[in-house]
Amino acid sequence: MTRGEIKNVILEIIADIDEDADMADLNPDEPLRDQLDLDSMDFLDIVMELRKRYKLQIPEADYPELATLTSCINYLEPKLKAL
Amino acid sequence: MADYSLIIIGGGLSGLAAGIRFARFGGSVLILEKHAIPGGLNSYYFRKGFLLETGLHAMTNFAEPGDKRAPLNRLFRQLKLSRHDFITHEQFSSLIHFPGGSTLRFSNDFSLLQEDIAARFPGEIDGFNRLLAAVNGYDPFTPREWISTRVMLGRFVHDPLLTDMILLPLMVYGNSEEHDMDFAQFVIMFRSIYQEGFFRPDGTMKDFLALLVETFTAYGGEIRYNSQVQSITMTDHRASHVKLAGGETVTCDAVISTVGAPGTFAMLSLPRQEEKYAGRMTFVESIYILPRQTKKEVKGDHTIIFYCLSDHWQYRQPAKPVDTSWGVICFPENFQGMPLSDYFQIRITHAANYDLWKKASSLDYAAMKQEWGAQSREITAKIIGNYQQNIVYEDSFTPITIERFTAKARGAVYGSPVKVKDGRTPCSNVFIAGTDQGFLGIVGSMLSGVSIVNQHLLKE
Repeated sequence: MTRGEIKNVILEIIADIDEDADMADLNPDEPLRDQLDLDSMDFLDIVMELRKRYKLQIPEADYPELATLTSCINYLEPKLKAL
Repeated sequence: MADYSLIIIGGGLSGLAAGIRFARFGGSVLILEKHAIPGGLNSYYFRKGFLLETGLHAMTNFAEPGDKRAPLNRLFRQLKLSRHDFITHEQFSSLIHFPGGSTLRFSNDFSLLQEDIAARFPGEIDGFNRLLAAVNGYDPFTPREWISTRVMLGRFVHDPLLTDMILLPLMVYGNSEEHDMDFAQFVIMFRSIYQEGFFRPDGTMKDFLALLVETFTAYGGEIRYNSQVQSITMTDHRASHVKLAGGETVTCDAVISTVGAPGTFAMLSLPRQEEKYAGRMTFVESIYILPRQTKKEVKGDHTIIFYCLSDHWQYRQPAKPVDTSWGVICFPENFQGMPLSDYFQIRITHAANYDLWKKASSLDYAAMKQEWGAQSREITAKIIGNYQQNIVYEDSFTPITIERFTAKARGAVYGSPVKVKDGRTPCSNVFIAGTDQGFLGIVGSMLSGVSIVNQHLLKE
């Protein structure tokens, strides 16, 4: 998967989690949590959705890597390269 | 391989929420419900053509869609239910009625309560507003030692009458302890009742339960009714299967039990520890159905009236079968925008004594119901006016009914005063969710189911 494709996957997962998510003005380098007003329970959904779709196991210690859109892409790029 | 990754004991609101949460990410899950329909404490039944709801007076934790941090909306996101499709009806207003004409009103607009406190207790409003600031700055989910609410309240509010008036609705709608409550629990209740407020879903509890069951089965979850679990069997210190009352066994990797701590321990062949885990606060409730045209004869403008007619309000198990000196009067139709029907209901709740109801013979039991019902109608008529002559149908339940239908030891609707906050049991793959885990009310018990699944089963 390319970085652009990974970005689209993340945005699609967030849209699926939160029917009120407004992603038009999302700053890729600012924390998603603050911008979208999401909590740790919502972040678990992103992790679980990635596991369900790509059989990707993300240990709890790595959850901070998913803080911003850019850090998500950086973290997932090597893991999803083969797909 | 086990038959199911997860078995959930109990198809009430916490069990259904846990089931949806687990099934949503592909886990195989079976809910075992001992009754013929789902819901547990919050269920429904039919009598004489009326659909009667059990448990529910109102849902707490009202929030508009879009308020993302509100517990109600977080719950809906976790269950992947659309909050926008969920139509709600907010309360009119509610009343706290104490002796000497002391009344306070509150609604889903917090300023009504502040105005009434300022008007009736002018010397206390500054303290009340400081209490509000303390509540807003408090995180009730941080693990801490038990803190006395009465001691904490004493720092802000000095009139004992106002203290009791603030506490009555919060205690009667969720406190499993007598007299006092943990301050964290107080903060949760204060927010969910005074700051967020009462509402009810459009449609009935039957519709709401159907939505949950439908969501659960659409994710591949299975639910079996009339399936009472007799025991949870351990192999190498882990639960390996559950045994049903009929003798059938079902294997599993983990169990979530929503039948309370004593019931769960009994299934694990551990001591029930009732003296520690069984709550003492239980209730009787009467449901009256009256023709709508007679509603003008009662003072029925509020949604819920929390009353006390005694000078010394005591939130504790009474020494007699029922304590009618205080209670709750609910008008279940008094929510904004509810469709009118030909009838309206009055529901009346009082604290009760489990032991006195338990030891009564069936003859005495029926006579006690009659006697206490009559006393309850007479006392509540002092507040809302006479309604007895217009009743077309009535039904009532006692602590014994609650125990039978909800599996809660001693009919303690709010479960154990000692909460198992992390949901853990002596068995490493058996967890407790629901009332005895610590969250209360419909929204709270559902969040309990969700959080136990998140914490113990998804983050692996």
